[in-house]
Amino acid sequence: MACGVAAAMVAAAFLTMAVVLVAKAWSAADLGFLFDPSSRVADRAGIGPALAGTLWLAALTVAFAFPVGVGTAVYLEEYLPPGGVAVVVSGAVANLAGVPSVVYGVAGLALFVRGMGMGPTLLAGGCTLAALALPTVIVTSRAAIRAVPRGLREAAYSLGATRWQVVRGQVLPAAAPGIVTGSCAAFIRTVGEAAPLLVLGAVSVMTFAPRSPADPLTSLPTQVFAWSTRSQQDFAAVAAGAGVALLLVLLVMNLVARVVRRRLQGVSA
Amino acid sequence: MSVPTTRAAVPVLAAEDLTVRFGRRTALANVTLSVPRGRVVSLIGPSGGGKTTLLRAFNRMNELVPGVATTGTVRFDGVDLHGDEVDPVEVRRRIGMVFQQATLFPRSIFENVAFGPRASGYTGDLQELAEELLAAVGLWSEVAEDLDRPAMQLSAGQQQRLCIARTLALRPEVLLLDEPTSALDPAATARIESLIHSLRQDYTIVLATHGRRQAARLSDLTAYLAGGELIEYGPTETLFTTPRDRRTESYLTGRIA
Ligand SMILES: Nc1ncnc2c1ncn2[C@@H]1O[C@H](COP(=O)(O)OP(=O)(O)OP(=O)(O)O)[C@@H](O)[C@H]1O
Ligand SMILES: [Mg+2]
Repeated sequence: MACGVAAAMVAAAFLTMAVVLVAKAWSAADLGFLFDPSSRVADRAGIGPALAGTLWLAALTVAFAFPVGVGTAVYLEEYLPPGGVAVVVSGAVANLAGVPSVVYGVAGLALFVRGMGMGPTLLAGGCTLAALALPTVIVTSRAAIRAVPRGLREAAYSLGATRWQVVRGQVLPAAAPGIVTGSCAAFIRTVGEAAPLLVLGAVSVMTFAPRSPADPLTSLPTQVFAWSTRSQQDFAAVAAGAGVALLLVLLVMNLVARVVRRRLQGVSA
Repeated sequence: MSVPTTRAAVPVLAAEDLTVRFGRRTALANVTLSVPRGRVVSLIGPSGGGKTTLLRAFNRMNELVPGVATTGTVRFDGVDLHGDEVDPVEVRRRIGMVFQQATLFPRSIFENVAFGPRASGYTGDLQELAEELLAAVGLWSEVAEDLDRPAMQLSAGQQQRLCIARTLALRPEVLLLDEPTSALDPAATARIESLIHSLRQDYTIVLATHGRRQAARLSDLTAYLAGGELIEYGPTETLFTTPRDRRTESYLTGRIA
């Protein structure tokens, strides 16, 4: 019941946001807007490159942070003996989850853009966003793993399974729906971030759609930011349009997460 | 005796001066007991007496509990189970266990039976193996038409039998059964009891039970455990008819719950 009310409120908030944005974006909306490159002239500005950039960033973030995060969570929960090291690592991860995203941008600038010589590319952006999502992926995955009933583990051990067989065969499948739900929430929040990408040096006018992670860093959130700080009135509508596109991308990510979770629950039910 | 001991003379399982503590609580205190090959041994006694802990000491399950401390020796075929070269995974493959609460995997019936053999690298036909074991526990006729059904849909009695089949799939030498009928109605209990009776030909069985009659019906030897101590251990008939210890006697006559 309370759950239903909360869901309704969230849906209402989301709808309101969408309506406002769409209303603002209406004047800018035509098919060309979706695919055109951004421009210095509002009339000709499109979100093609920014949209492609965000899709790249989402893919890179998930590809880096998901395996590393889940792997770390498994290690911490199932392998590392409780005690000194575990306590220190847990504390560190929990603290990292609370570090503001802009600070990740500063660290990413020093580490990925300059230190590793990636330059302000999508790859550097993906690495930074992955680092930003990682602590939350670890924390939520650990919670999901810990929620697996002890009896399930013991039954598997009693049947002569090795630790890895227990983890692979029983613990991970049972924890998978929780891991996916928690991780996706983290990814969705991360992909909507502008601040760290601005620090890395995202470009605000991109004339071609990025085709590889080595292309310049561009994304919907940074594009929204760039356009909304322009003084010309026309750009406000374009910015709103990009905002709607961003919401749609995140919505699609959410739907994908739901489908994956359904699948996983079907398997283990 | 200096005569070389035959295999039959070495007890399958032996606890020597075994003490198990969970944190500050002592679950087993200085227990010495041996299980002869091919016999059924019952562990009886009040709740919290240490039956489960002793069973779990026999296949090294206690060490999975954080904060557990074990002293003393447990031998399997004369070999110290806590010896350096002993792999607990191998121990659990040879000494099978069925838990107090049936804990099936949230998978199909077939997957439940297949998990153990797969884990130990079984190369034969799993379908055939499943059929054989489900038949051995009298479940085949009830589930044959759909082995891909979720195991959780089975009745409690069927679940317990599936748990036993799943353990038998390891081809263990010893079966540790922890109150296999505590959650079952009389009819399902009777089925499990006749199953245990038929398994005694092929396995050494250690059975923890609250049912004094069950112990009397099924076992050759009975141990009475209370407060973590082994109070009395001997042939079932002797223990039930002429217990040596007064505590055993009052438990058997029902003066202790
Ligand atoms: N995982 C554990 N953590 C802490 N204490 C435990 C644990 N398992 C058992 N104990 C304690 O060890 C003692 C013996 O428990 P055990 O489960 O062996 O008794 P039992 O004879 O099997 O009882 P029951 O008939 O109720 O199953 C009890 O005091 C119990 O509280
Ligand atoms: Mg018990």
